[in-house]
Amino acid sequence: MGLIGYTCSYIPVELLSATGFLPYRLIHGTISFSEKGEEVVKVDACPLVKANLGYLLENEKRFVGVVGATGCDLARRQLEVITHFTSLPVHILNNPRTDNPKIFNDEIEELVKFLEKLGQKKLTPELVAREIERWENFREGLRVMDQQRKAKPSLFSTSDFHKLCISYHKGNPPANFPSSTSSPSTNPRVYLLGSPISYEANPFLQLLEKDLQIVGDFNCGISRPLLIKIREKNLTGIKEAYYHQPPCIFKRPNKKFYEWVSMELKERHCQGIVAWTLDYCDNYEFELSRMEKTFGLPLLRIRSDFSFSHISQWQLRIAAFAESIKENIYV
Amino acid sequence: MFSEVAPKRITLSEWSRQFRKVPDEVIKKFNYYQNSDWGRYLSPPATFFVYGARELKELKFDNSFSSLRLWGFVFNESERLFRAKQTGRKVIATMGDLGIIPVIVMAFPEAIPFYPECFWWVPFYNKSNVLLTRASELGIPEATCFSKAILAAFSKRAYFPVPDLIIAATGASCDDYSCLMQLLEDIGYNPLWVEIPLRRQGSEERVAGYLIEEYQKIWQKMVEITGRNLQKEELKKSIRKANYLRSLVKELKETVSQAKIAPLPALEMMVIEFGNLYGYGDFAEWIKIVEGILQTVKERVAKGIGVLREDAIPIAWVTPSADPILLNLIEDFGCRVLTTEYLINQALVPISENLDPFLALAQAFLNASLIGTTKERIRRIKEEVEKGRIKGVLITNVLGASHCALETKLMEEELQAVPVLAIDVPSPGGITEQLKTRLEAFIETIK
Repeated sequence: MGLIGYTCSYIPVELLSATGFLPYRLIHGTISFSEKGEEVVKVDACPLVKANLGYLLENEKRFVGVVGATGCDLARRQLEVITHFTSLPVHILNNPRTDNPKIFNDEIEELVKFLEKLGQKKLTPELVAREIERWENFREGLRVMDQQRKAKPSLFSTSDFHKLCISYHKGNPPANFPSSTSSPSTNPRVYLLGSPISYEANPFLQLLEKDLQIVGDFNCGISRPLLIKIREKNLTGIKEAYYHQPPCIFKRPNKKFYEWVSMELKERHCQGIVAWTLDYCDNYEFELSRMEKTFGLPLLRIRSDFSFSHISQWQLRIAAFAESIKENIYV
Repeated sequence: MFSEVAPKRITLSEWSRQFRKVPDEVIKKFNYYQNSDWGRYLSPPATFFVYGARELKELKFDNSFSSLRLWGFVFNESERLFRAKQTGRKVIATMGDLGIIPVIVMAFPEAIPFYPECFWWVPFYNKSNVLLTRASELGIPEATCFSKAILAAFSKRAYFPVPDLIIAATGASCDDYSCLMQLLEDIGYNPLWVEIPLRRQGSEERVAGYLIEEYQKIWQKMVEITGRNLQKEELKKSIRKANYLRSLVKELKETVSQAKIAPLPALEMMVIEFGNLYGYGDFAEWIKIVEGILQTVKERVAKGIGVLREDAIPIAWVTPSADPILLNLIEDFGCRVLTTEYLINQALVPISENLDPFLALAQAFLNASLIGTTKERIRRIKEEVEKGRIKGVLITNVLGASHCALETKLMEEELQAVPVLAIDVPSPGGITEQLKTRLEAFIETIK
């Protein structure tokens, strides 16, 4: 089945899949893809953008088109690079940065037109309702697993949870959600946030969870879709749910992002935060000091270009961080 | 004044010697805010060297009287903004939009718009890392666009007065400013956010509609701040003023570009292009300065004289140089900057005077450099290349600037007909022999 690549949590998968193609979130992250991407952008582009470009350049034939959004500047501009260096049809959803639902709603209407043309079929209300049902079930399954992750002690690791989320992002629901859980973890409870967690980042999550337990996250690549709950099974319901998801950090002002994460930290009884950022990720990198101040919890900063060359350093820092939380040095 | 001297680029010391010829009564004649008591600004560039702009000692300036006026005025901006505040004017920071919002602000007689982002030149002129270091202390990552100096300037509260209002434009533009403006909230400022939509073919009308709503929001805020409920006619007047300046600069650019010998250096031309944004805080005086420059240029063209050699190689310059000395350098190496794309196209196009003023402003903004595709952005440069007028293109990137990272290779693809050199502008005082060699090699290639 042909894939429709997409780049952002604000793009409704229900509409993409209603075309009959498979929604495939572009969220790759390996050094080799990143190096391939560097053939078409400068070295100081964000590694995620470079890796996605590299992946697309190597796998163009699997795709029928790409839908992107104006998340960050680089995410928006990567779509122009795709247009230039591939023959794929590309559509951009102009996701407003300020509180402007009118723009978002208009953009969804435009997206429907693009998809109808791409899929050569009408996205009828029945079809849309069916897709909403399907994807809501999928999300509900993930939400159940998330509750186990959130439990105290945590019953499900984020590295395992990430694997389930990958199936969501690649458009393939698992046949069954795991019925039995991992063994309870008594490691210090932390929240993970920052730049997107790529498909290939699972070893990093495993590394973290040797000493820590990630009991919640605000990351593209992991839990972002869970926060979207469509109540009315129609286009209006899609617009409402996708617009009113807990806002990305790039929204202006981004007070609501801070409010949401603060609430999550309390509800999930977090003892610390791990901030994972990619090189040149302005939206997160600029705010790390502010996060430390605002959230009032110890924060471990880990910056990556997708290579694992610093793994020994990371191990040491993660262990030290876990130790400091255990000893309750900060809180 | 100075009509007897041949046009050339001169040093700071030469300017100081030449300045002695300026009579006192002439110095008294030129004032900002039309105030002859404290509004004088005519001074040799060495004045600003003494104030800390150490790079001026390395720069070369045009030696005309009209350029003297320009430099005195431009470097006087900080003082001017503080004076504005002292005299009860409303100082409005218009960030991230570059070109349209000041036209709205200027409709209110006692309001002074300014662009804090233009203070990113300060570390370069001062050859100082003070602002960049402060930005790091405030948590900004090292590998960030030089615009981070702005956050530091806000935090230090020494480079411009505390604005009465900060209008912060965000959306389909570059991220660096948006992230910086967000952090302003942490140091006690409260920006009014304005949405910049994406430009796409076929959606212009819809996009203009969004912009109109945003501009009306700003208008209302200005009414609230100034206590003046102005009629739209005042906005139309402001548009006419902006258009007059835009037409002057257009004529100037065309005259300079078509002249056989470059009648004005690239550095002064860049300063003039940026003046379109907000007239450096005194629109009326800036218009007179540009009129003077245009007059000088016309005289030079009529006499067939200029500041560079006739065989200087015509190139295009894409993205403004964070370090002004690069513009000097490229001329020293035998080039002439014939055309530019400094990211401010929205400030250069005429604004319709026959439409509702908000719609007219929205339509003008739809020409913005950064809200559409790279292809659109460099269309004019490509046309000049195709006409054979441009022999090479120099792109000055800033490491960590989001748009630079993705645009450069696309530009190189589009401009394959001529040599293109893309350089990352180094930190203040960081121009190395290696960089100079690269520039020289680029010029050799064109030759």
